[in-house]
Amino acid sequence: MKVSCPSCGTLGKVTFEQIYDTLTKVVEIHHLTKTFGKFTAVDTLDLMIYRGEIYGLLGPNGSGKTTIIKMLCNLLRPNAGSIKILGQSVPCKSIMNQIGYMPQDTAIYLDNTVHENLFFFGGIYGMTKESLEKKEQEMLEFVNLQDWRDSLVSTLSGGMKHRLSLACALIHEPNLVFLDEPTVGVDPELRATFWGYFESLVKKGITVIITTHYMDEADHCSRVGLLRQGRLIADGRPRDLKKSMGVGSLEEVFLLLAGRENP
Amino acid sequence: MRLRRTLAFSRRALLQFRHDRRTFAFVLVMPLLMILIFGYTFGGDVKGIAIEVVNDDTGISAGTSPVLPNGLFLAQKVIDTFDTDAFSLHTNINSSNARQIVHEGKAWAAIIFPANFTKNFLTAIMAQDISLSPKIEVYIDGSNPTIAAAVIKEVTQSVQRALKELSASLNISQIEMPIVIDQAYAYGGGDTRFIDYFAPGVISFAIMMVTTMITIILFVNERRNGTLQRLLASPASESEIVVGYALAFAVIGIIQSIVVLIAAILLFDVSIVGNIFLALIVILLLAFGHQGLGILLSAGAKNELQAIQFIPLILFPSILLAGLFWPIESIPSYLQPLSYIIPLRYGIDAERSIMLRGWGMGEIWIDIIVLVLFALLTLSASVLLLKRRN
Repeated sequence: MKVSCPSCGTLGKVTFEQIYDTLTKVVEIHHLTKTFGKFTAVDTLDLMIYRGEIYGLLGPNGSGKTTIIKMLCNLLRPNAGSIKILGQSVPCKSIMNQIGYMPQDTAIYLDNTVHENLFFFGGIYGMTKESLEKKEQEMLEFVNLQDWRDSLVSTLSGGMKHRLSLACALIHEPNLVFLDEPTVGVDPELRATFWGYFESLVKKGITVIITTHYMDEADHCSRVGLLRQGRLIADGRPRDLKKSMGVGSLEEVFLLLAGRENP
Repeated sequence: MRLRRTLAFSRRALLQFRHDRRTFAFVLVMPLLMILIFGYTFGGDVKGIAIEVVNDDTGISAGTSPVLPNGLFLAQKVIDTFDTDAFSLHTNINSSNARQIVHEGKAWAAIIFPANFTKNFLTAIMAQDISLSPKIEVYIDGSNPTIAAAVIKEVTQSVQRALKELSASLNISQIEMPIVIDQAYAYGGGDTRFIDYFAPGVISFAIMMVTTMITIILFVNERRNGTLQRLLASPASESEIVVGYALAFAVIGIIQSIVVLIAAILLFDVSIVGNIFLALIVILLLAFGHQGLGILLSAGAKNELQAIQFIPLILFPSILLAGLFWPIESIPSYLQPLSYIIPLRYGIDAERSIMLRGWGMGEIWIDIIVLVLFALLTLSASVLLLKRRN
């Protein structure tokens, strides 16, 4: 990659590792391990995620994606290793204000209205009524639910619920967003819309960490980590991973790497 | 209708039970539990009623009366015939102290035999004059109509038994001479109806059931829908979540109690002699404690179906052992200790004491302390449960 040196202005070749060194580390994971009885869900994971990235955790069901996200959100305690988020060691309640989390389930209150849900989730992040009123309008427009503000969530379609769930994770303007399989069970049109949302978040400087088992979606990510049986088997830009393995899709990359592990 | 296809449905349903051991156990254990609890607790006679007995009767000593050469101590004879299963007797030498004990709720009744009991009895018989009949003073806490009725019934029957024995020993025909049972009421004035007694219990019971069940279902849904995970991944602390819900249930509890109270007063003319605000504080404590219990139990249910299985486990011990319908004194003595571990017992006791006896904090503080401890225990345990991150 050709970049100009900020001090002398000359053009030169630098590696991505060199660029990453200069970026702000948002998530730092060292030797992270989580076991459930005899089953190792996450196995000595090391990972750095930088500001403004869409980082995709990719892998089949049971590969440890959700367990990693839950440990990052302080919903599960690791057995070993450490996590730092925005420079603070997890668990740390003070950084939770800067984190948005959208669980695998829609995780919104079905017997409340769209407005009540947004106000509730904004409220628990300490937002004032004035800022909530302002932000609510923006979020409703962002997820295209302006006309449904006072509708009960139970009356909304599945896609609308997903959109509201995303809005609830974003209303407090987090710097870092964890999205656990946000596109599972979502129709192709909405999936495309969602990725549009995620890309617009990154443009605002928000870091997005997303889990998915749809390999084709991963091309939207700035970087991906391929997970298999709780271990990170590859980490890099989708383009670079495909190039290094000489294949055309991440699915093939995954299968080749998995085949090398278990020939 | 094809038999083969029909049986396929039956087979699948039975196989489901085989895989869901918990539901299967529920189906078997539930009716067994019901028959045992109802069989042992329902409709039994009232037993072990705490009674203060004051015997001031000087009687007639042997050799002092030509009619009764062996002497007679009639009060003692009556006391000796009291059913010791029904009454738990405590002898007191001071009648005002005995009345005070009843007033403080430590005994259900004081049975006081006056000094000239036997002599008056003898005089009345000799003169054949009813107006000279001796009086037994029965000072009763009438706040529990079942117990009050049982006390009067037992005293009357004991007098009859004693007189029958006396007739037999004197070899004369049955003595028809009535002994007057003079009833005085510490509380309730003798006109406490079952509905008066029942209303405070129903209010406590309704709060307990509604709060526990709604909390279980609410938290099962919070877990299942993923909203709880979202809350736990937010800056909100576990105690904020628990206390937040507790306050919501307190509001629901108060509204519910006010509705029940108004209905009880307007429809059934239930009289409330105590402080209504204190009654509402007891309701709040019950709601807090049972909300905590609901959160704890919700951890043991994966869905609403499993949550429903908690209903009988909470319902039956509370109905049967907490003194809701019939007094704790009427359940078998070996089951009575169980009532001490049922928080509803203290709620019902406090509500009845406030509404029927007009008691205040000075008298019901033990109930209040138990309910506060119960609420603190279950709510703190709920916070710890939510803090668990395995």
